[in-house]
Amino acid sequence: MTKTDLIKRKLVSPKEWLGARKKLLVQEKEFTRLRDQLSRQRRELPWVKVEREYVFEGPNGKEALGDLFEGRNQLVIYHFMYAPDWEEGCPSCSFWADNFNGIIVHLNHRDVTFAAISRAPLKKLNAFKKRMGWTFKWVSSGNNDFNYDYHVSFPAGVPKEELEYNYGNPPFATSDLPGVSVFYKDPERNIFHTYSAYSRGIDVLNTAYNYLDLVPKGRDEDEFEFGMEWLRHHDRYEK
Amino acid sequence: MATHNTGTREEWLAARLELLEAEKELTRRSDQVAQRRQKLPWVRIEKEYRFETDEGSATLADLFRGRSQLLVYHYMFGPDYTAGCATCSTIADGFNGFVVHLANHDVALSAVSRAPFAKIQAYQRRMGWTFSWASSFGNEFNFDFNVSFSEQQQREGSIDYNYERGGHAMDETTQLPDIVVQNAAMCGTDGPTYTRDRPGMSAFVLEDGVIYHTYSTYARGLDGLWGMYQWLDRAPKGRNEAELYQTGGLWWRRHDEYAKR
Repeated sequence: MTKTDLIKRKLVSPKEWLGARKKLLVQEKEFTRLRDQLSRQRRELPWVKVEREYVFEGPNGKEALGDLFEGRNQLVIYHFMYAPDWEEGCPSCSFWADNFNGIIVHLNHRDVTFAAISRAPLKKLNAFKKRMGWTFKWVSSGNNDFNYDYHVSFPAGVPKEELEYNYGNPPFATSDLPGVSVFYKDPERNIFHTYSAYSRGIDVLNTAYNYLDLVPKGRDEDEFEFGMEWLRHHDRYEK
Repeated sequence: MATHNTGTREEWLAARLELLEAEKELTRRSDQVAQRRQKLPWVRIEKEYRFETDEGSATLADLFRGRSQLLVYHYMFGPDYTAGCATCSTIADGFNGFVVHLANHDVALSAVSRAPFAKIQAYQRRMGWTFSWASSFGNEFNFDFNVSFSEQQQREGSIDYNYERGGHAMDETTQLPDIVVQNAAMCGTDGPTYTRDRPGMSAFVLEDGVIYHTYSTYARGLDGLWGMYQWLDRAPKGRNEAELYQTGGLWWRRHDEYAKR
């Protein structure tokens, strides 16, 4: 547990608090409307036809990108950082997974199929998934170019200025970074790439941070050089 | 789905970069609202509340479990419901997985409902959840934080929910929206009984043995806390429920109630 002193607050009567709260409510409602508007804008993005063939290793053996839709029209991919030589999946991505693992069943009923994709071999993914108690679908992109084409894995030896991440350059030299990509499959089985987000673009998909945004200390990460330093795999916190 | 514009990767990228600016702007605005939220003044809690939990009788201070901050999810589960609210259940499916991280970042999260604890416990077991869930059965906690209302308040039209009197669809007494009636039926109850409880989230802080109320949010204020919607907002069809709403349909079910497909 982190220990930062709470800033002493001016205590007020319930009536005064209500006045301040209602002022904030106006700003919150405005924010909600802006978010709705941005969601509409996002859906207006043009789509790009996926011409390449990708084959993944998954629980059903070899699966093409089209197979991952599992009969639905929309596919959301979480680019989970797990490089082939790592002993375990990235702790931050695991935090994201703790957020999405329980809600995928609901997405499935709005025509959305969900899968995580990592470069590590399927055997490693399965073992780690079992350890963490997750049930979402997780496939390995192995040696295919999927992760590189969607800008979440980076070849060694290339200066970061020449690499693309979050529509700019990666913040530091690394083999893998997180992201989310969305695909659509039409009745003729054409697959389109519709959207990708990275970095703080996937911030709101970690609902836990929205919860932290409600408490007095907020995200409370300023004291750390790397914001998520406090984070552990959910089975690695001290009891 | 109607046909959609397609383009080259270059065309897509140009549109995407434009959207990226708007997204960054919204992220900054979200940070600003969060900062303003943290600047809200605090109100001292003078009342003593007794809850029933899996560790026996507990005070509000006990719900902090050694942390200095407490988030209470006001889970709709009235004493007369036969099951917890199905809509709240979709929110709980999200936080059930990450409360462990909040607990290790000085935030205890507890759901609180008016149903007797035995009912809560049975329902929680059915859903396979492990988060803390306390019963406020018989105490005034839910009424004080504007998430439970009396029959008299319903009759008089004196319900203040989401900082507004009579401003919410659930305040309606003569004709409740179909979606509310469906939600009620999924809890084995009728509309008026169902709407005497409401969803919300409240934040408290414990400092030198004193508890302060810092924040409460209701209605669409919970939207960003509802994981499934944030993901759907990124899919081509979006929330994909407008038509259903027009016909009064409710698409979600409790996670163990979907027909297998």
